[in-house]
Amino acid sequence: MKQRRTAKKQKFTIGMKKKLLVLFTLVLVAFVGLGVRLILITKNNGEEYERQVLSQQQYDSTSLPFRRGEILDANNTILAYSEKVYNVVLDAKLLLRDEKYLDPTIKALVTHFGLDAGDIRQYISDHPSSQYYVLAKKLPYDQISAFQEMITPGSDSYDANIQGVWFESGYIRKYPNGSLACDIIGFTSSDNSGMYGLEEYYNDTLSGTMGREYGYLDEDSNLERTTIPATDGDNIVTTIDGNLQSIVEKHLKEFNDTYKNNARFGNGANNVGCVIMDVHSGEVLAMASYPNFDLNNPRDATSLIGMPAVDEKGNKIKGESVMDSGVYITEEMLESFSDEQLYQNYNALWKNFCIADTYEPGSVAKPFTVATGLESGSITGNEVYNCTGKLEVGGWPIKCHNVYGDGYVSVERGIEISCNVAMMYIAQAIGTNTFTKFQKDFGFGLKTNIDLAGEARTEGLTYSASNMTSADLATNSFGQGFNVDMIEMITSFCSLINGGYYYEPHVVKRIVSSSGSTIKTIEPRVLRQTVSASTSEKIIQYCNQVVAGPEGTGKTARPAGYMIGGKTGTAQTLPRKNGQYVVSFMGYAPANDPQIAIYVVVDRPNVTYQPDAKYATRIVRAVLTEALPYLNYPMTETLSEKEQQELQQLREQMVTTATVEDVNGEEGQEGQAEGEEATGENAEGTEEAAAEEEKTNDGPRSSIWETFDRDPSTGYYVDPSTGALIIPDSGMVIGGDDLPDFGEGVPESTDNTGTTEGNGP
Amino acid sequence: MDRLRALRRERGESYIDYSMIFIILFLLAFGLVMLYSTSSYEANLDFEDSAYYFRHQLIPTLIGLGGMLVLSYFPYRFYKNLSLIIYFSALGILLALIPFGKVINGAKRWLIIAGFSVQPAEICKIAVIIFSATIISKLQKNLLTPKGMAVALVPTFLMAVLVYKITENLSSGIIIIGIVGLMLFISTPNYKPYIILALGVLGFAAGLVYFIANSANSEMGFRSERILAWLDPTAHASGKGFQTLQALYAIGSGGVFGKGLGESMQKMGFIPEAQNDMIFSIICEELGLFGAIAVMLMFLILIWRLMVIANNAPDMFGALLVIGVMAHISIQVILNIAVVTNTLPNTGITLPFISYGGSAVIMQLAEMGIALNVARNIGRAD
Repeated sequence: MKQRRTAKKQKFTIGMKKKLLVLFTLVLVAFVGLGVRLILITKNNGEEYERQVLSQQQYDSTSLPFRRGEILDANNTILAYSEKVYNVVLDAKLLLRDEKYLDPTIKALVTHFGLDAGDIRQYISDHPSSQYYVLAKKLPYDQISAFQEMITPGSDSYDANIQGVWFESGYIRKYPNGSLACDIIGFTSSDNSGMYGLEEYYNDTLSGTMGREYGYLDEDSNLERTTIPATDGDNIVTTIDGNLQSIVEKHLKEFNDTYKNNARFGNGANNVGCVIMDVHSGEVLAMASYPNFDLNNPRDATSLIGMPAVDEKGNKIKGESVMDSGVYITEEMLESFSDEQLYQNYNALWKNFCIADTYEPGSVAKPFTVATGLESGSITGNEVYNCTGKLEVGGWPIKCHNVYGDGYVSVERGIEISCNVAMMYIAQAIGTNTFTKFQKDFGFGLKTNIDLAGEARTEGLTYSASNMTSADLATNSFGQGFNVDMIEMITSFCSLINGGYYYEPHVVKRIVSSSGSTIKTIEPRVLRQTVSASTSEKIIQYCNQVVAGPEGTGKTARPAGYMIGGKTGTAQTLPRKNGQYVVSFMGYAPANDPQIAIYVVVDRPNVTYQPDAKYATRIVRAVLTEALPYLNYPMTETLSEKEQQELQQLREQMVTTATVEDVNGEEGQEGQAEGEEATGENAEGTEEAAAEEEKTNDGPRSSIWETFDRDPSTGYYVDPSTGALIIPDSGMVIGGDDLPDFGEGVPESTDNTGTTEGNGP
Repeated sequence: MDRLRALRRERGESYIDYSMIFIILFLLAFGLVMLYSTSSYEANLDFEDSAYYFRHQLIPTLIGLGGMLVLSYFPYRFYKNLSLIIYFSALGILLALIPFGKVINGAKRWLIIAGFSVQPAEICKIAVIIFSATIISKLQKNLLTPKGMAVALVPTFLMAVLVYKITENLSSGIIIIGIVGLMLFISTPNYKPYIILALGVLGFAAGLVYFIANSANSEMGFRSERILAWLDPTAHASGKGFQTLQALYAIGSGGVFGKGLGESMQKMGFIPEAQNDMIFSIICEELGLFGAIAVMLMFLILIWRLMVIANNAPDMFGALLVIGVMAHISIQVILNIAVVTNTLPNTGITLPFISYGGSAVIMQLAEMGIALNVARNIGRAD
């Protein structure tokens, strides 16, 4: 029965069972193979794929920009701020979800942003799946607010048919005052990193932290968006007084306007710099140089015209003759510049002359020599030296600027008339060891660590006791043969006149968070005592004579109604006998109780006869005439009629400028133009006044050169035997006191050439 | 075997394969969980309902379970009589695609019947299993004759070709031919022709791949581009290789134990329609190698249970039905995982019980119902 059933029913045979087992084995093998494949993928590529997955995820979240901190002046005037701007972004895919969105959206875009409808349609039809296309860049809020309303549900003008457009926010840096304080502030590149000045030095402080917006899934797998807001950068409050700064810049520009294309094509000088510093804290109140540039448009090539061109190392390109102060950039040259050359010259423009350029200071170093002598006890201050017009040192005859000899010169008169021979005697009394030690104390050859980017490294630009010859000592005593930069000089000079306290110079006094709370206050910091109070008093006494004394070389620096002190400088440059000079005046006010120090350097003025410190003293005078009343220093001197007229004129000019400014807004171009004219007249008046003063002083003078005839065109005295021109006031023979070339044998000096020529970082 | 003997002794009681039922239920539940995890993000974006795909899968699953229960009581022997009707019904539904088919993603694969979308290709698979089992068991010895071979092969090949031509779905056609091929392999005594055939197919495929890889002809269709993308997915990362590459990223980034259930990053728009063919890669990402191999073991046990049922089937027809089901599940699981791991070129094959697809899950559960009914008849000597 069983068999019958089996016969009737087709049973699953043994052979089939075997085959089924074979099939199952094959399936098993396939499964094992795939399992191995899975393991291999994880083992070999796991890390790489994991990174890939994470990197893909980043596209899903957006970063939110932070607002860069503001830069404020001492009176909380905004010097730099960041403005929120918006990019208009088109999401074509979103827009194309429905045909009915297309026309209203494009119409709204065209009316609000002035975009071309054809271009948008073209783009949408070419890239229907594009989700990110920037239609317009960097629009301010008022330009997008109306459109923003239209795409915000719930607002009155909401239009549901406008789809696929959103705004991406960002910030742009704005400098409301254009070129004001450009060297101090610096600017930012597009990726929000500071270049030059405070923007670079305080980049980390000004920068905030990016925020992030990202999506994630909650427990119910709903897409949630979370925002980590951006942290805005901190604001910095500077010690710069915006008004003082604009006074300084106005007069630097005035100088340039007076002397540009004068003796040669080009700016009024290769560089003009001015620093005003608070004597009792090291705070920089104003710092400017010319040529300057517009911070809102730092790559404006027209600013380069008239500047000496530089090579790839930033060194000034030499002219055909040694007498040439440089090769000056013309419009034709600009056109022929490669991008690289253009950038080199921009760098020369952007760097801050006051901290980045080194030069031989010249006679402004004399107070330091005297202070060294007094402080070290090498001299008492009562010495009298005999100046015969030159002194033999180390086998070299080193001339005084008055080659005819100053006769008997006391220490005080040595400063007053700027006698090189007296300084050389004092330096000989001091000796190389003490001299170099004091130079270090004064900070020569050291960075001041001012809080600005791009300060020059002056290490190696001064002598050490071991490599200083007697001739080096002699020339160093009157400021030749070593290099300094402006900030070094004025910082150290402040210590000479404030009782000996060497303050670290600084530009920022406070760091404030974006919400307004003070994060850090930067207090004045005394680094060391350079001289004693009694030495300091004597230096003030001597320097006052430079302006007040009958033979003072700096008389032309005195502003009407005030008494100031200071020291002139007329420094030769390398190579010697090139007729190129760096003239300067370093002074302070008020004379009896110095509160502010001012230092003006004119690097190679654009005139035929450069060695005349008046190019610097006139700037000092013009600046202080406005600055001292502004700073509320009471007048101490009686005003002559001429001075009264001059002040009257100045006041009128200030009033008119002010009213025009009110009408014209911030620019006030007309007012400025008028102001320039007025001051132009002013300058002439000053010169006349000075000439008059010189005449009245003719009587008591006894110098040989004062008996010479005057050249009618220049007003200089003419040596009848040599035909050389002699500058009144100082008795300096143009080209007469050229230093012998021995200095160039010293290794440092060769370095100096480069640095003197303005080799900044 | 003791248990089976015991079952035979107690004749009245039917055998129920609980372990297989458990595995089926487990795979369904696991599939629904993974489907929800995989699809909720995209569903929320597209339909603002994170459970959209989950709900659309849950209903067919419940219908399928009901169908499985009914079919497990429906005596399988009746299929022998119904096989021609089933075959021609399936053919009719397939041909109905030509006038009535709905085009989704550029392919005509769906029929909308009373609001439900039905994939005729899935119906064809089960129809071919029943039809082939009937033919083979009827032909018996005559199967080896050319005429018998033709009777067994022509209708099924016709269906496979029609599926491929009408739905433009090569993989469904391959699966149908694979099922028939494996059923014939079991029911004929010799190995030689099959080994030769397998080697021939492999050789042909290798030659084709070699030809495509060496002829830089961009004029070729999208399938050849798929083959190039298979050979070097990174080179075609923005085109045909994108899905494969993203799936590989998912597998690789999962590690041994995965990122945790619901923690996949790749499901967030990177793997297109991850709930369909590529769901296995999300399993790898979330549950790691551990989870992936566990799923593969589950399928292996299921296949093993089907083999046991086939071995103990009361008759040839029942055994062949179960073998057809077993072949179907095996082919789809192996091909799906091979595609996800880029072992084979990308072609649309879903993972049984887990991938999204209503018709597929109903039909697969129906097949399980048939297999369970065969199991129920084990030991019933009538």
